[in-house]
Amino acid sequence: MKIIFRSVVLMLPLAFGLGCSNFLDESINVTPNNPTAVPPSVLLPTVEIGTAFANANEINRFASTIMQQTAGAANSPATYDVYQTNGADFGNQWRFELYGGALVNAQKIIDIASASNSPAYTGIAKIMKAYAFSVATDMWGDVPYSQALQGEANPQPRVDKQEDIYKGNTSQNIQSLFDLVREGLADLDKQSATRPGNDDVIYRGDLAKWRRAGNTLLLKLANTISVKEPALAKQVIDQVIAGNNFIRSNADDFNVTFGAAVGSRDPRFEYTNISSFKDDLIMSSRYLTLLQGLNDPRLPVFWTKPAANYVTWDNGQSGARPTPVTTWSRYNSYVTGANGEGPVRLLTNFQRAFILAESALMLGTAGDPQTLYAEGIRASMTLAGIPTAQIDAYITANALRGTQQERLAQIITQKYIAFTGNGLELWNDWRRTGYPTQQPAQNAVGIDGTRPVRAVYVSFENERNTNFPNPAPQSNVKVWWDAN
Amino acid sequence: MRRILLGSWLLSLLFCLPLLAQDVSISGRVTSSDDGSALPGVSIQVKGTTRGATTDAQGQYRLSVPANSRLVFSYIGFETQEILVGNQTTIDVKLSSGTQSLNEIVVTAQGIERDKRSLGYSTQEVGASMIAQKSEPNLLNALQGKLAGVQISGQSGAPGASTNINIRGITSFNGSNQPLIVVDGIIFSNDVNVSGNTLFQAQSANRLADVNPENIESVNVLKGPAAAVLYGSRASAGAIIITTKNGRNQNNKTEVTVNSSYNVQNVYGLPRFQNDYGQGTNNLYVNNTTASWGLPFVGGPTSITNLQGETRPYQAYPNNVRDFYQQGSIFQNTANIAGGDANRNFSLSFGNTTQKGIVPTFKFNRTNVQVGGESKLNNGIKVSGTASYVQTVQGGTALGNGGSAFGQLTRIPRSYDLVNEPFQDANGQSIYFLTTANNPNWAVRNLTLNSQVDRFFGNFTVGYDVTKWLNVTYRVTGDTYTDRRKNVNNIGAARAPQGEIIQDQFFRSELNGDLLVNAKADKLFIEGLSGNLLLGNNINQRQSQSQSVYAQQLTIPGFSNVSNGSVFTSSGESSLTRRLVGYYAQASLSYNNYLFLELTGRADRSSTLPRANNTYFYPSASVSFVPTDAFKLQSDILSYAKVRASIAKVGRDADPYLLNSVFAQASFGNNLASVAFPLSIGGSSVPGFAIGGRIGNNGLTPEFVTSQEVGLNLGLFKNKVSIDAAYFFTSSTNQIFNVAVSPSSGYDTRTTNVGELQNRGLELTLNATPVRASGFRWDVTLNFTRIRNKVVSIAPGVTQSGITGNGFIGITSSIVEGQPYGVIVSTANPRVQNTNPNGQYYDATGQFVGQYVINPTTGQFAPGLAGQVIANPNPNWTAGLNNTFSYKGFSLQALVDTRQGGQLFSFSAADYRSGGSLYVTGIDRDQPRILPGVIQNSDGTFRPNNIQLPAQTYWAGLGGLASEGAVFDATVYRLREVSFNYTFPKEWLSRTPLGAASIGITGRNLYFFAPGFFADPEVNTQGAGNIQGLDLNGPPNTRNYGVNLRLTF
Repeated sequence: MKIIFRSVVLMLPLAFGLGCSNFLDESINVTPNNPTAVPPSVLLPTVEIGTAFANANEINRFASTIMQQTAGAANSPATYDVYQTNGADFGNQWRFELYGGALVNAQKIIDIASASNSPAYTGIAKIMKAYAFSVATDMWGDVPYSQALQGEANPQPRVDKQEDIYKGNTSQNIQSLFDLVREGLADLDKQSATRPGNDDVIYRGDLAKWRRAGNTLLLKLANTISVKEPALAKQVIDQVIAGNNFIRSNADDFNVTFGAAVGSRDPRFEYTNISSFKDDLIMSSRYLTLLQGLNDPRLPVFWTKPAANYVTWDNGQSGARPTPVTTWSRYNSYVTGANGEGPVRLLTNFQRAFILAESALMLGTAGDPQTLYAEGIRASMTLAGIPTAQIDAYITANALRGTQQERLAQIITQKYIAFTGNGLELWNDWRRTGYPTQQPAQNAVGIDGTRPVRAVYVSFENERNTNFPNPAPQSNVKVWWDAN
Repeated sequence: MRRILLGSWLLSLLFCLPLLAQDVSISGRVTSSDDGSALPGVSIQVKGTTRGATTDAQGQYRLSVPANSRLVFSYIGFETQEILVGNQTTIDVKLSSGTQSLNEIVVTAQGIERDKRSLGYSTQEVGASMIAQKSEPNLLNALQGKLAGVQISGQSGAPGASTNINIRGITSFNGSNQPLIVVDGIIFSNDVNVSGNTLFQAQSANRLADVNPENIESVNVLKGPAAAVLYGSRASAGAIIITTKNGRNQNNKTEVTVNSSYNVQNVYGLPRFQNDYGQGTNNLYVNNTTASWGLPFVGGPTSITNLQGETRPYQAYPNNVRDFYQQGSIFQNTANIAGGDANRNFSLSFGNTTQKGIVPTFKFNRTNVQVGGESKLNNGIKVSGTASYVQTVQGGTALGNGGSAFGQLTRIPRSYDLVNEPFQDANGQSIYFLTTANNPNWAVRNLTLNSQVDRFFGNFTVGYDVTKWLNVTYRVTGDTYTDRRKNVNNIGAARAPQGEIIQDQFFRSELNGDLLVNAKADKLFIEGLSGNLLLGNNINQRQSQSQSVYAQQLTIPGFSNVSNGSVFTSSGESSLTRRLVGYYAQASLSYNNYLFLELTGRADRSSTLPRANNTYFYPSASVSFVPTDAFKLQSDILSYAKVRASIAKVGRDADPYLLNSVFAQASFGNNLASVAFPLSIGGSSVPGFAIGGRIGNNGLTPEFVTSQEVGLNLGLFKNKVSIDAAYFFTSSTNQIFNVAVSPSSGYDTRTTNVGELQNRGLELTLNATPVRASGFRWDVTLNFTRIRNKVVSIAPGVTQSGITGNGFIGITSSIVEGQPYGVIVSTANPRVQNTNPNGQYYDATGQFVGQYVINPTTGQFAPGLAGQVIANPNPNWTAGLNNTFSYKGFSLQALVDTRQGGQLFSFSAADYRSGGSLYVTGIDRDQPRILPGVIQNSDGTFRPNNIQLPAQTYWAGLGGLASEGAVFDATVYRLREVSFNYTFPKEWLSRTPLGAASIGITGRNLYFFAPGFFADPEVNTQGAGNIQGLDLNGPPNTRNYGVNLRLTF
């Protein structure tokens, strides 16, 4: 008995030695928690929702406030309202919603779908990528672009000039945003092994609508640089008009629709009605004055009026806020959806019409500015459910008149009203054109008391990427296309 | 054939056995180490038995004892000495009259008992009397200030809040820097299983909190890698060896010990408030602001109308914050039964701790049951084991900025009657002066995190002396627990307005099997040289699993069951498995008991590294030399001297699953607004995944820590004073780290081997007995620690990188090249410089260099520079001074400790100050102020700032949340612990069943003084871990005091 025991004792290490090959099998270290490969169909919703989320979340709180549609009643919006912004703002937008969200996953779709011969996916992903990059460069100016999204291959991407991002630069190997969209449009025309369906939350896999959206995106990009680069803008717009395949109906709007349940809702619904920050934003008194002055029938559609009168706040105003907060005028269901469905309107029929009106007026592209301007108002009011007779009367009362600049001011002001709830578009148009004309906020401080004309680079990049200038350009330094 | 040979070899051993198992006869002489005179009447006892002898008039003794037993020499007025008999036949002993025995037996790695003088590295022991009955249910807190080279910091006064411990600094960029914990040979998880975000959820306990301090016999700290190398990778951060009470030394008596204590707990360390101005801004009353920049109470209105439209008197409520807290209590009861001797013994322990905290949901209830025993069978096999069950119930509430009670308590206007204002309406919804936050009274009751841990751990050891010189032992240990957590945010919670319930099941288990083959030789080659060889094998498996049901959008108020939810899309699971096989060896040589050499080596194979790199070897060597013995140097001044040196290298594997990049379910947003896939859009569910933020690495290699240590032990003045000093240098290289990458690369981090981290430090322990006369005794212990840590390099092109963990954007706990570990990177106010003529704010004259630059438009600081180091949380040095006075049955012990230097980043401070509630903000409030700094003129020169600001703008301008204005010096002096005990004389108890009885009073954290901060700087909202020095609105600390009673039957 003892002999057996002793033998066993002495053999024990041997037994463990033999057992090791299975005990330390490589499968032990394969994660059971995450997939290492996925189909493009689960990445596409992330890209689309991520882009819409970026547009409608903090960027909208910032831009709609400095553009005086909303006023900042508390917290960050109150700071924005007096023109204070720095590198601690928009970290989530840069890091999680744009570069680490919509953009890198669009790039993943391009990589995966190229390998599986699915240009329907690569085409959509390239259009989405171009859109999301336009958000980034319009916000921050020069940003990583041609070397971005490469992960380990380039952990500190170069910062490309905004001019090169919009126009391309062959010597630097930078593809223009226009060419990126065109490449996406070309992909959509190819045979595709797989095609999106319900995973495409924008168009449910309707590639014809995607082609129209892609061409409309070209119009928007050209419009953005039209003051700085009128010739190039005209050339792009002429080309799109000639191609005659862009958004012409509200039904084709490039909208991202959200859901009604918690965790599925449009961020504007959340921060207007639900979250603990819901009393940060209130309708701006100046916006109210503008729309009441125009006798605009969209006012009650776009904004709530829980009390007898609209309860608003002036931009930058100090002192006790109106009470109770339940009386405040906030974004209405036109913006947020009845229960958080949105949609976030990224490219719209009214936008297309206003862009063509502006370029007809300023660049001499095809079409009559007044007709296109009226088309834009009609598209917007139809979306808002305004009866035709009222639309007609409004268009008549607000026909284009005056000098070229006065007419431009009318076009941009109508675009400003129509785009209620998409602050970035308002801010882009104002920076380009200076319209609508607005007085500075009360108690404005900022860097020098003027309205920000760019977002300050997020401090992460200064910590992690030596290609970024430090100190970063402050919020009073114009971006390249801001030439007025 | 081989088997037969082996068998016959074993058979031949068997024949020798009966002979070897016989007792050995020992003789020797006991003398005084002071003057060498013979000591008659010294008691010599075989430890754990009743066998013994006494010395004769010449100090001679003779007795026969079993081999491997321990002899205890005790003599009144002299220090007791324990000696391992081994195979010696003559043992001469010198007893010293000093304060402490320098020939201690200590428990070292793998449970090996060693004579302390033979160790070439540093260990420090803390006995039961310094741990038990200290008004503190968490062992780690009870060790504060009592160890050199060890930094222990409590994180808050919440019951069960985690406690951070680092031995000899930080050695890993990313891995755990908490030491390995071993309880009775069981590798014991001290993890902090964080299931939520550390920025705003309740703090989880560190799991060492499951150990009952009252049941601990001793704690031995193995400080450096050299000491702990046999434990392998995880001991690179040192090891804490805990031995619980057992029956080994009961001399065949069965003894029952009962300990009871009751303590009360009160909030302590709140700042001093102003009571002159009430709620409002710009000297006006505003009914929905957190600020106290309103009207003065003197000359102001007598009443105001609050947000709810009710009239309230306008007055200060000086204690509105303090009185929010209730008095907590800690009731602890422990019973131990132990009996037997060294060969056969048993022990049984039952303990219960019931703690109520300073807010209603805070609690910590722990029940421990432990049985243990060992028995030497007639066939020579020795079996032993312990089995323990613990149930720990912890109740907590949300903390942090954004929705918690503590996030609001720093923002209560001075005129708000927090204690008496109603905090909820008829529907159970919060009533508060802010509609966007919860009343703290509502929050503590409605944002709850309850955890119930059920934990089993135990060991089973079989040992066998194959021959006189060869022992084979196999030890199996297991430690497993489940933590069932329920996190409820009731409907109306600021962070989850529609309510949510997270039901989390966390499971962890660790199994270890260790084979130890120990061979020894008393005479090796030459006279006086003895040796010991240990060969070991370890197999280890660690598993954990967490499953959570995440119910959102609740329907029925107050119904805290996940069935009340409407949306469950954030539910999930996560599992981890890791395995390791290690082989180790240790060779120890001793020459004439004054020169010692020890060599160890360990090779590990880990499942977490790529196959090509998963086997790694690391060695250590240590020497120790006692010149006072070797050269007979003892004198009245120098009684004992030992010098020691060691060098060790420890390898460390990766965490599981780091080799690949992975995808994860996508989500966007934060508490402003968020979406989480799968989304429910138009009635259909849309799944969405995203590439994870971390780039995997299939070429990872192990990381290494190399440590060098020299040390000195001195016994002075007949050992009345003893000194233990050590200097160490560690270098951590090849660190496995998630290096920050530019977010525009599409990723957040990449896992790679990078960098170097260095620690150098000095630790010093001094023991002295200044007075010992006619029954009175005064003992002093001083511990001193000074550690310098430096990040030497990170990765090519990377000079700073965030430490993994939750953090606010713009306040990043980081590693930065050339800086100590864990510095906080944020936005710094720009200063005038004269180094770069082309840079901003260049002053050629040099006159204003270093001054803040002021924006000429606003009078406030100019826009800050991102990415700057603004705070270093590491102290310059720490020290603890313990004094014990005893006279007859009375003893008084007091521990004072200090932390010098280091900084704290405090949200609370920024809140109190910019909100105008702090005392200083009330002084001369009507006077204008000027921020310190200079204004740049249009020609580039500078002029002193002369722009006057009102008090509110000035104090807010000094620093908001993410700025260097929130950084404070964390220096603190503290009266950590006081206890007063009275032991009843034996004769009083002779007619009772009691063997001993004592009664005492104790207090903890009785007083502190922090010259650079207006509250208690020993807080960290992030909990135990690598991120330290951040006070992001957590619970305050407490002061505890109470009574205790100990009875022995």
